[in-house]
Amino acid sequence: MDDEKRKEQLRTMFSKVVDPLGYKFSTDEELVEFLLEQEVNIEKEKGSPFCPCQGLTGEREHDMKLVCPCIPFHREHYDAMKRCWCGLYVHKDVDDPDSLMQISLKEFLESKNKD
Amino acid sequence: MKKVVMYTLSTCPWCMRAKKFFREHDIPFEYTDYDKADDRTKEAIKEDCLAHGSEMSFPFVKIDDKVVVGYNPEKYATLLDL
Amino acid sequence: MKQEDNWIFALKEDELSNGEKKPLLIEGNKVLVLKIDGDFFAISNKCPHMECPLSKGTLEQYVIKCPCHDWRFDVREGKFLDAEEIRVPIYETKVMEEGVFIKLSKEGAGK
Ligand code: SF4
Ligand code: FES
Repeated sequence: MDDEKRKEQLRTMFSKVVDPLGYKFSTDEELVEFLLEQEVNIEKEKGSPFCPCQGLTGEREHDMKLVCPCIPFHREHYDAMKRCWCGLYVHKDVDDPDSLMQISLKEFLESKNKD
Repeated sequence: MKKVVMYTLSTCPWCMRAKKFFREHDIPFEYTDYDKADDRTKEAIKEDCLAHGSEMSFPFVKIDDKVVVGYNPEKYATLLDL
Repeated sequence: MKQEDNWIFALKEDELSNGEKKPLLIEGNKVLVLKIDGDFFAISNKCPHMECPLSKGTLEQYVIKCPCHDWRFDVREGKFLDAEEIRVPIYETKVMEEGVFIKLSKEGAGK
């Protein structure tokens, strides 16, 4: 299949998945295009559109939680950032994705335990 | 000069931005793309990442003995006294 | 349209034993019929993640696990176990005169 076509298919499928979770594609269209392109390539190489910004370990249980969109498995952490780790998806109310920071899981857990 | 070592993925835009940050500030750094590394290197990177915070998120930036996970120019700057 | 008109014959009651499932094409909808503890359930056969056929997944009690990336759904309400907002469409079933019938919702969910 044509890469461009696959990219659009992923876009259609994934928007249906993230919508009920309160997320949308980032308004940074260049970033979105880039990330989807990476996912198409990763899918060709590894069989699934794994996350372009997180590493696989080869253990199925770990890696299957990194197939895009991985939001369901990292919900609290991403909700705190209002974006997913890659920034492909953001909360629906976000218009300026550049203002959102990556917060590591460790920092997130530490700040959560403080509250 | 503090030593900057980075673990990255070849597919990750935030890793590219992190590299760009250090280049723009003329700070030398070493990096390894986890996804392109051989099995032994992979294993070592994985251990490092998991030991730090039980996740495999990139970029993973070490500035001397301090670790920053994620693209965070402010933190990089603070740690480098920029 | 009268309500009873929506019931469509799916399969004969004895075609499935407990714990078994069967994919069917019903009026253009990919449907998966399952029998668990004597009850029949019908869900869309397309995983809400990337549309893999759930018929190739594994069933454990009421939970079906997608063969592609292991997302798990409760076949009773269609809920995705890791985020309940995501659901696989479900259809009502009933058994009449040894036949299993399912009711396709008007929106044609699961198409
Ligand atoms: S972090 Fe974002 S882009 Fe990466 S897999 Fe998760 S949802 Fe997809
Ligand atoms: S298609 Fe079913 S879990 Fe991905």
